[in-house]
Amino acid sequence: MAQTKHNTEDYLRMYRQMVRIRTFEDNANQLYLSAKMPGLTHMYSGEEAVAVGICEALTTSDKITSTHRGHGHCVAKGAAFREMFCELLGKEEGYCRGKGGSMHIADQSNGNLGANAIVGGSMGIATGSAFTAKMLGTKDVTVCFFGDGATAQGLWYEVMNMAALWKLPVIYACENNGYSEYTKTEEIAAGSITARAEAFGIEAHQVDGQDVLAVNNLTRDLVARARKGEGPFFLELMTYRYHGHHVGDINREYYRSKSEEQDWKDNRDPIIRFRAWLVDQGIASEAEIEAMNGEIKADAKSAVEYALNAKYPDVSEVDMHVYVGVDHALA
Amino acid sequence: MPLEVIMPALGMAQDTGLIVSWHKSQGEAVAEGDVLFEVETDKATMEVEAQGAGFLTDVRAEAGAEVPVGNVIAVIADSAEAAGAGGSDAASGGSDAGTAPAASDDASGSDAADDTALPEGAQVIMPALGMAQDTGQIVAWHKAPGDAVAAGDVLFEVETDKATMDVEAGHDGFVAALLAEAGEDAPVGEPIAIISASKPAAPISRSRKAGAAPAKAAPPAAGGAEAETKPAPSAPAKAGAAKAGAPQPAASKAGAAQSATPGAQSAAPAEGTRILASPKARRLALEQGLDLARLVRAGHPQPYHAADVEVLKALPPEDTAPGAAAASRHLTARLPEEGFSAFADWAAREMGLGDATQLLAGLAGASLDRGAVTVAVESFGATRAVAVPGQALGQITEAEGDAAPDLILRDLRFSAVQTVTLGAEAAPVLTLTREGAGLAVTLECGSAQLSASEAVTLLSNFAGRLELPLRHLL
Amino acid sequence: MREITLSQAVNEALAEEMRRDETVFIIGEDVAEAGTPFKVLSGLVEEFGTQRVVDTPIAEPGFMGLAVGAAMTGTRPVVDLMFGDFIYLIMDQLCNQAAKTHYMSGGKLSVPLVLRTNLGATRRSAAQHSQSLHALVAHIPGLKVALPSSAYEAKGLMKTAIRDDNPVVIFEDKLMYNDKAPVPEEEFLIPFGEANVKREGTDITLIGTSSMVQVCEKAAEILAAEGISAEVIDPRTIVPLDEATLLASARKTSRVIVVDEGHQSYGVTGEIASRINEKAFYHLDAPVLRMGAMDVPVPFSPALEDITVPTPEGVAAQARKLVAREMIHAA
Repeated sequence: MAQTKHNTEDYLRMYRQMVRIRTFEDNANQLYLSAKMPGLTHMYSGEEAVAVGICEALTTSDKITSTHRGHGHCVAKGAAFREMFCELLGKEEGYCRGKGGSMHIADQSNGNLGANAIVGGSMGIATGSAFTAKMLGTKDVTVCFFGDGATAQGLWYEVMNMAALWKLPVIYACENNGYSEYTKTEEIAAGSITARAEAFGIEAHQVDGQDVLAVNNLTRDLVARARKGEGPFFLELMTYRYHGHHVGDINREYYRSKSEEQDWKDNRDPIIRFRAWLVDQGIASEAEIEAMNGEIKADAKSAVEYALNAKYPDVSEVDMHVYVGVDHALA
Repeated sequence: MPLEVIMPALGMAQDTGLIVSWHKSQGEAVAEGDVLFEVETDKATMEVEAQGAGFLTDVRAEAGAEVPVGNVIAVIADSAEAAGAGGSDAASGGSDAGTAPAASDDASGSDAADDTALPEGAQVIMPALGMAQDTGQIVAWHKAPGDAVAAGDVLFEVETDKATMDVEAGHDGFVAALLAEAGEDAPVGEPIAIISASKPAAPISRSRKAGAAPAKAAPPAAGGAEAETKPAPSAPAKAGAAKAGAPQPAASKAGAAQSATPGAQSAAPAEGTRILASPKARRLALEQGLDLARLVRAGHPQPYHAADVEVLKALPPEDTAPGAAAASRHLTARLPEEGFSAFADWAAREMGLGDATQLLAGLAGASLDRGAVTVAVESFGATRAVAVPGQALGQITEAEGDAAPDLILRDLRFSAVQTVTLGAEAAPVLTLTREGAGLAVTLECGSAQLSASEAVTLLSNFAGRLELPLRHLL
Repeated sequence: MREITLSQAVNEALAEEMRRDETVFIIGEDVAEAGTPFKVLSGLVEEFGTQRVVDTPIAEPGFMGLAVGAAMTGTRPVVDLMFGDFIYLIMDQLCNQAAKTHYMSGGKLSVPLVLRTNLGATRRSAAQHSQSLHALVAHIPGLKVALPSSAYEAKGLMKTAIRDDNPVVIFEDKLMYNDKAPVPEEEFLIPFGEANVKREGTDITLIGTSSMVQVCEKAAEILAAEGISAEVIDPRTIVPLDEATLLASARKTSRVIVVDEGHQSYGVTGEIASRINEKAFYHLDAPVLRMGAMDVPVPFSPALEDITVPTPEGVAAQARKLVAREMIHAA
């Protein structure tokens, strides 16, 4: 584990946030499996240290852009279970009033500019958010989350070019989980991914995405430098998704073996590793951690229960929020 | 809290799962994350883990069973002995074990209307097999109505854009209904068969066309564009005019149709060929009670525009019609009979309005929509003049003096006369006759008395009031 | 009243709004010192500097995406897209991101952005620099679309667009940049969704957009000489569309021709004609006619190009037939 300068509270919050993500996803998966959730969803389980390590280095007004695999970013940036489950189930009290669902879930008030269902679709938005920070002098930093699959999109190269030219406070965070949907990353990515950012003169780092402290320490440093105008930066976070591309992707041995999945779960799980470290360092006892886990589970359970019973938006909402300043677009 | 173990939805288009084996046995302790059982779907075999710790109890499906997705197959209870207690709780949750929740939820909206006609049992839905598939074609049924089936039996073959697949019954029981025929397409999620627990007395087999169409409520207009309302109010009855012509025994409310509009139209085109005219020219002619067919007979070239309506107005009187009261309008509406007779009974009982003739005159007079009018009612060979002050049925009186009636109501309900074409009188004439189990109302009047649209309005209003007299009170 | 060119009108609108609101900035290719190839923006960089008149690399998706993110976070970008034909390059950012953000976020985020671009053929620029693609974006809920028909509209609509909290696309006709029109010195705005009755008449209504307003006005002159009284209406914005004014005119004259420079099939003319048909049917004495650009890629040769767009003579000829009650399309 990387060396740190945190206090106990920070460590426990990081652990707590990772468990909250895992617990959220376990419940979301159950909702899908039991046919209680409309649509489908992409699980973040396994990648918790990336979202938490990065978002714990940000302030509330710092911005992020998220992806179709976005529940983890949403939780890590401060969202509450109840509004998230409501959104997942298309209920009125969801963060997006049920109009976004799993692939667009975001707690906007905490600086989350939205999860994006177009792979690579938010790279421009993140760069523009950084442009605003520079133009208006807000000092906010924006983190653009995307997967290894999105590195194949041309938009990224266009905006990296501009971000580098104009020294924008943006951090491009590539969650390399090894698979671009149903295809191994090595089959879709030529050369080195970090070298692509470096070609624009952007400082690039590769980091163990299963080590929350390593991710957090590096991000803290880069965020501070970006605030001073030293950005942009690029991070490649080596991580792993435990589920398939989406919840229905169950028969996946044609692209990924069960033994490989088991190896990551057994030996590189970010929560297990960090828990062991917390106990080892005497920051928390097993009993305290178990109590925390239990509390999070109960919290999730009651949020799921609440969301299942919550009401759907009134049908009159269908043409609301099409335009700012127009109550009903079709009236 | 006991935890239900549910057959999971693993594939994107999966209705059931086959339990390959249990890894835990009844009463055995389980930890969260332990593999409970293996399930086989169309795509793969998966291990399913326990979602909580406890003791496996109340195992309801053995290895080899094919279980619908969403069904409870066991319970993880707080103790090995808790089967009874946990079971009762779980049993309530699992009481719908015969139907897959996803399927029945989807189906409930679409087939609620014709459920009454269908046998009870588990619905088999058209499965979603591809990612972008809306319908599936039933290639063949492998079971006939009344056949016994096991959950794992192939029930039918379905063809999608991608492939042909065998689909299993998913439930043990008997084929109680096949709701689509081989060769038909059915939307994904629509029930296409019903499997009942007991042998059905009268298994059903029908095509989708027969069953599904009326069950689906017309969706609200998506575009939201409110089309301009027609100047002539159309008959308010629901569609279904097909039944209007032939007398139907005990026609249902929805089935009873008014033929006022078709009747009016059939009177209009004279030579049977369609007249080419602009919408505006047609509207102007209708509003002014003019017949475009006269332009045809006068040899005026088509198509007709607004300017041609002026030509029509200037045409000399066409033929031998003796004055303005020529019977140029004749239209008929048909409706069920119960509405008025029930209302008359109620009005006599509750309101003290015992004179059914006055009630009838009141409904007719108000339909003219001209305020206070006099209605002459002819029935059983006698004529009564009734003064109708407006809407209030309680204020109808016998007319004083011998004021000329504004409307004549000929009540032939108790006569053998079925249809009338008697020609115009000094006032528009409404004739009431019995037709099958229902009533027919015929309006005859001269073109100078009522314009075509006024005639349609009067007849529509009167027929509407007779069918649903409460509308009058509103 | 003084007369200025359409180009000057746009320039004035931008300068006034940038003085009024310091969050307004211009971004695009060669917008600063070059002032765009049409010189519309000349002088702005001198007043507002390169921080607010931002030259970009040739990367339309990149700077469009950047502008979306900037707009979501507190600025008001005016994106300069050098040719309307390049709109295909930015479709994801415009239609998947900008248009849907407000809705997908349940009304919590908004994208106050103006996309300034152009339309119009007969500049001898061939098929990739001559298209009129406004129908493409008018199809997408969440976008507003303005089509100025003179310098006056160009200024008033631009100022309204910049103050609107929604993404607005303004198409200027690139052949009209040097056309002069009376424009007041004092400040004015033109509200969206208010059509302008340019000329009153009783026999037929000519609805024209952008430069086709002039075509309709010239056609009306020709018809007036023959004793036919034509009403000419400029909707000014096609989203929102001032349906009431169009329908009232249709009801009055009973005959309508809709003229627009987009391709005729599946276009603006068809949409407007269809609404009139649905809502004024019983007042029509003739079929509503569409006159759009020919359904061919815009050819280069002047001999071919000039016949692809509606002309005053062509519009007058069709109007004459309708008024004479000729069968336009026999049954």
